[in-house]
Amino acid sequence: MVSPVGNGRAPADTPLLELVGIRAAYGGIDVLHGVDLAIPPGAVVALLGANGAGKSTTVKVTAGLLPPTAGKVYVAGHDVTGASSHDLARIGVCTIPEGRGVFPNLTVRENLWMATQVSGRLDSLEEGAYARFPLLAERRNQLAGSLSGGEQQMLALSRALVTDPAVLVLDELSMGLAPIVVQQLYEIVAQVAQEGISILVVEQFARAVLGIADRAAIMVNGVVAHAGTPAELQSELSSAYLGETT
Amino acid sequence: MSERIARLEQEAANLKVSTSAKRDGILQVVGALAMVAGVVIAFVAYQLSLDKADDRDIQSLIILAVSMLGLSVAGAAVFLRYSLARFLRFWLLRQLYEGQANIDRLVGALGQPNSSEEHEVAEPEASR
Repeated sequence: MVSPVGNGRAPADTPLLELVGIRAAYGGIDVLHGVDLAIPPGAVVALLGANGAGKSTTVKVTAGLLPPTAGKVYVAGHDVTGASSHDLARIGVCTIPEGRGVFPNLTVRENLWMATQVSGRLDSLEEGAYARFPLLAERRNQLAGSLSGGEQQMLALSRALVTDPAVLVLDELSMGLAPIVVQQLYEIVAQVAQEGISILVVEQFARAVLGIADRAAIMVNGVVAHAGTPAELQSELSSAYLGETT
Repeated sequence: MSERIARLEQEAANLKVSTSAKRDGILQVVGALAMVAGVVIAFVAYQLSLDKADDRDIQSLIILAVSMLGLSVAGAAVFLRYSLARFLRFWLLRQLYEGQANIDRLVGALGQPNSSEEHEVAEPEASR
């Protein structure tokens, strides 16, 4: 893992997002026990693991929703530990949370508007979002809560992308969706990655994401137990999901 | 790509990590203390002014009492600002989750092939 730097300029190989020795707890219960994870520029990194392994907690720390009890979070080599979620979103680390990260009582158009904060830019950003997701254009005046699960995820993705993030964190994109929809969504994620956006994909169902990932890490009991390329981790997957830690 | 990364690097470098949650809590306590202290000191100053014979002492104590009432009002404003902010954040989140749950239920009911049977099943749960 590349060491974090804090001297102002980030070398080209410095991870855009890096977690070093992250520990986190809910109340008095420790959930993460020293997570190390790095997202290189332009890479898609899959964070895998069984239910309860600590993946979503890692996302919460990454997104600034849960302050770590120990460890550091670096963005482009700069220590941002303890930064708020809106600060991280503003600088370009955008998180799509688990489940449906949309405002159900607002229309598709209003959801996109919520992301931009600048009304003058809405039209051009809206057209960009609709170019990527034509289905949303047809439903621009429909309430987000009445969209299907896949459409809601598309809306969440498009809302994140109109902010032009440098790092995108996706938590359980496939949750509650049909396999064909998941496949479509990951094809879109692969396209987004080709545009140079670094992506951390947290996913319980490994097969859905390994096809597009450059690197992967498997979490077991609050630590990253294995890390490497998807090919290297194929043999580790079954043991990780069956509860073996060695 | 490099432009996006350069922007991220610059934004991250300029980011000042704030501890606004702690600050909100501290300001809430400070506001409450100022509110209470203002009223108490104003009352004490007024009571003391009753025992004074010199007009200048009385005026000084009355000025102090009025100033403390001002402090109390300011403290109340600070307390309300930071306690309501926390309450409203939770209220907004709750509204969002309840709205989502209601819409899910409606969409689910509309998607059922026989909505009357669904209604009969759902009614006891809704009446709880």
